Amino acid sequence: MTNTKTFITSLRNEGIAFLLFIGVWGLVSAFYPVYIIPSPLAVAYAFPGFLPEGFTHHLAVTAWRVFLGFGVSFILGSFIGMAAFSKKWEAPVNALMSAANILPGMILGVIFLLVFGIGSLTPIMLVICMTLPSVTINTVNNLSRRDPSLEQYLVSMGARRAHFLRYIYLPALVPTLLSNLSLGLGLAIKVVLMGEFIGSQDGLGYLLNVARIYFNMKEVFFYLALLLVVTLVYQGCLTLLSRTLLKKFFYAN
Amino acid sequence: MMADMVSVSHLSKSFESQPVIDDLTFAIPAGGRTAVFAPSGAGKTTLIQILAGLQKPDTGTVRVNVEHPVVLFQEPRLFPYMTVEENILLPFKLRDRAVTMETLQSFNSWLSVCGLKEFKKHYPYQLSGGMKQKVSLIRGLLQNPCFIMMDEPFQSIGREAKKIIIEHLLKTYPNLTVLLVTHDPEEVQQLAQQMLFFPTAILGRYACVNTHDAKFQQFRFSGFDLPDVEPNSSSAVLSEKNLLNENS
Repeated sequence: MTNTKTFITSLRNEGIAFLLFIGVWGLVSAFYPVYIIPSPLAVAYAFPGFLPEGFTHHLAVTAWRVFLGFGVSFILGSFIGMAAFSKKWEAPVNALMSAANILPGMILGVIFLLVFGIGSLTPIMLVICMTLPSVTINTVNNLSRRDPSLEQYLVSMGARRAHFLRYIYLPALVPTLLSNLSLGLGLAIKVVLMGEFIGSQDGLGYLLNVARIYFNMKEVFFYLALLLVVTLVYQGCLTLLSRTLLKKFFYAN
Repeated sequence: MMADMVSVSHLSKSFESQPVIDDLTFAIPAGGRTAVFAPSGAGKTTLIQILAGLQKPDTGTVRVNVEHPVVLFQEPRLFPYMTVEENILLPFKLRDRAVTMETLQSFNSWLSVCGLKEFKKHYPYQLSGGMKQKVSLIRGLLQNPCFIMMDEPFQSIGREAKKIIIEHLLKTYPNLTVLLVTHDPEEVQQLAQQMLFFPTAILGRYACVNTHDAKFQQFRFSGFDLPDVEPNSSSAVLSEKNLLNENS
């Protein structure tokens, strides 16, 4: 398959998802007045008049919080997962992370607001705490599903520890890392918005809260559509990566 | 006197009190090719795993005169994200050995013999079961081993291709010590000099038959029966005289 064709087919699903979202939104908006659910066209016509001053700053702040919070959680979760696997602590780590996974985000957000105050730390800490369990559990579980017969082959060859890491564990982790990046970032965006909604004076979550209070529904729907586009482009990039550079790590034996 | 490449003495192994190897004693001299012929579930794979150091025996001793003998497992055990070429050359990376011109010549010659020349850049999922087994075989043999253990290495390979591969193997590595586990008497005759025949599903008492003897032909064509050969548990060593005759 040519690179162009791979690129187009990788982004096809994301494009279809976006069009579906716009279609459903347009359909539902037909049954409601514009001050409750404005149509996509109404939002497009009003754009960019409803955007507040410093919109790009708010956008950049949210992006920074998402990438920092999720970055820390991704690296820490993958590291804890690998350490738990290599030390054979899978069961206790899984139990701990499963327990941490059920903590309600809203309550945690209020606690962090009281502890860290209004600012960046609350949404960032919230992202770390909310995404770390999923990343860790995913890493441990996928490493446990590696092919033991290949490990036995390496043992028979007198392979060193570094060989196991290079030829078994890291390749087994590639699909896991991609699925963590795929699922984790969506969750991270949601959690950052929630954190900004609760305890921040900037960011998209803050803007959404202000727009909601003033019933500026065109602005609210624009932010939602923007989040959707960002997420779909990101997912498209991951799909492209998994179908080109990292494709071979998804092959079955 | 030729030194033994493998010597097994009073080896026993059980799984959950079910014995699969019971007081087994045998030896293979350097350069000897021995086949183990036994019913399914008789612990043949366990024997190979013990010899390769992948499992520990319950009792008895095992001595193998090379540090990491090459093992051809029943399944090809190829790395799914590596091409045929990368899989075959992997042992060189694992053992920090350079891939010489001679190695590449041997690599290409093996690919031709196995009909895999066009498949160098293919991944394992693009190959048939027989092709994967051939890749595994080349990966093992290209290391130029002095001892190889083969656990049903030709089970998915066609009869003609198998014959060509065995002929090439014997021509290229005349002094290779082989321990072959198989269910196919034809493979035994083509590749081995002696056969350890285990009549029951436990590796213990066996009859040792020279594959060029009339007894072996009788065995081949009488439904795998050795009526006049008494199984015993004494050590079976391929006679040095026979081995020398074979190699000359």
